[in-house]
Amino acid sequence: MAQDNNTVMAREGGLVTKKALLHAWFNWETFVQCCYNYERMMGLACAHVFVPIIYCLYKDDPSKRKAVMRREAEFFNVHIEFGACILGLAIALEEQMAMGEDVPGELITNLKTALMGPLAGVGDTIWQGVVIPILLGICIDLTLKGAGIWGPILYTILICGGAYAFSYINFMFGYRAGSEAVLNFIESGKLDQVLTGASIMGCMVMGGLIVNYVKVTCGIDIVTSGSTFNIQADFFDQVLPKALPLAATMGIYALLNKRWSSLKIIGLIVAVGIVFGATGILTYA
Amino acid sequence: MAPIQALLCGIVYWLAVGNLPFVGLWSLQRPLVCGFVTGIILGDPLQGALIGGTINLVYLGFISAGGSMPADMALAGILGTAYAIVGNMGANTALALAVPIGILGTIVWYLRMTFDSIFVHIGDRYIENEQYNKIWRANVLFPQMFCAVIAVIPCALAAYFGAAYIQGLLDVVSGRILTVFEVIGGLMPALGIGITLQYIYKGPARVFLFMGFILAVYSGMGLLPLGIIAALVAIIYVQVTATVGSATPAIEGATEDDEEEF
Repeated sequence: MAQDNNTVMAREGGLVTKKALLHAWFNWETFVQCCYNYERMMGLACAHVFVPIIYCLYKDDPSKRKAVMRREAEFFNVHIEFGACILGLAIALEEQMAMGEDVPGELITNLKTALMGPLAGVGDTIWQGVVIPILLGICIDLTLKGAGIWGPILYTILICGGAYAFSYINFMFGYRAGSEAVLNFIESGKLDQVLTGASIMGCMVMGGLIVNYVKVTCGIDIVTSGSTFNIQADFFDQVLPKALPLAATMGIYALLNKRWSSLKIIGLIVAVGIVFGATGILTYA
Repeated sequence: MAPIQALLCGIVYWLAVGNLPFVGLWSLQRPLVCGFVTGIILGDPLQGALIGGTINLVYLGFISAGGSMPADMALAGILGTAYAIVGNMGANTALALAVPIGILGTIVWYLRMTFDSIFVHIGDRYIENEQYNKIWRANVLFPQMFCAVIAVIPCALAAYFGAAYIQGLLDVVSGRILTVFEVIGGLMPALGIGITLQYIYKGPARVFLFMGFILAVYSGMGLLPLGIIAALVAIIYVQVTATVGSATPAIEGATEDDEEEF
């Protein structure tokens, strides 16, 4: 645990060594959800992050070390990569406190609590709602259209590399920039711009996914004297191919907006499949 | 399926739901990736990637926020792929089979989220006793051991015994019933896309869904070129609105956007 022989500081005149800060970040990104639970969510993971830090802050004051650990083990829940800056910020504030500046413990707790809401919201939307669906959509498309095993390999490299790189940059930003800069960034509206741009890109790719992967066609033939009129080939394919997949997707979207659970919708899809599939009204092509 | 293969499937499932981000949360948990790994275990990586990728279409935008888990995509990906390779079934039939498995799998997640609280109190005790070098046990070792028990055993048993019965089941499933399975499998990806849209189909972004749709219908281009065009369109939109709306320079916002997408 002794960091004495490692004297390279993360910040000039600071107490936290570079090595300890790196260790703290690694604990966050790697072990954050190993003990995910309903009682404190990521609280214990925060305490784990602070283990290498407390020995830098209070070399010979066990009671203050314990105070930091108690404070950091409180309830905490955020998006892992977007919220990394909060941990960096908390370390910076604990460091200032250890150096004798007037930083009350409640301030640190309150800042963490205040920041986790907005960063969880934006983070989950951008990361799980845009980045992952787009990356997955493209890699699945590559996989099914010839790239084969390189699709999952490419996806794994990109998402793991992206997650570790982004959380590192964000963690260090939080540590160096301090509370004012983090708050200013959140209030500056730049996050909104990123969110708008990401949503636009996401929507366009989703449009392409509907065309390529939602597969439903109409199997009805209208037989009149001598000629058959196939509704799919002679109507939909002429007017707007893939109109049925688009309608199915937007219908499901509307039901989700009416607070239907995904479980209920799966039930509906199964029922529709049985009734219309068995009668041949809907076919798969 | 050999017992050792079933056991390996169980271990993959544990690594996927254990939430070590490096191997799990964003990567191995996705059916594209865990299906591929299941394919390696069963000796057919390509088929594993193809079936896992198809199953993954349902779970594109499944968001786990605030400790909720709408479906266990890892179990659906591993068992769906395993059954499909053993039973030699089509990707869409495998998908229709995988979705109910994914619903069952959420039990494992909720068990974890509930019982992991025990380890928090062990962690608290380490803090009170100033044994900080032991905190990793409470945060990583114990919960992961617990997770291994509740994940490996059911998944390995389901893979082993399910594979034995799947052929008999598939002999029954043919003709009309197979068509029903395929129709269900063809519709399921609409749910994955619909869930994603709940998060991004908002305000000015709405019209771009139809732009992407029309572009894909009439050009027949793959998703990679479409994704690049979409990124450029998004950057242009953000730049233009920033110039029109205020004096804020738009370049910063746009480049950040770009970096995060790729």
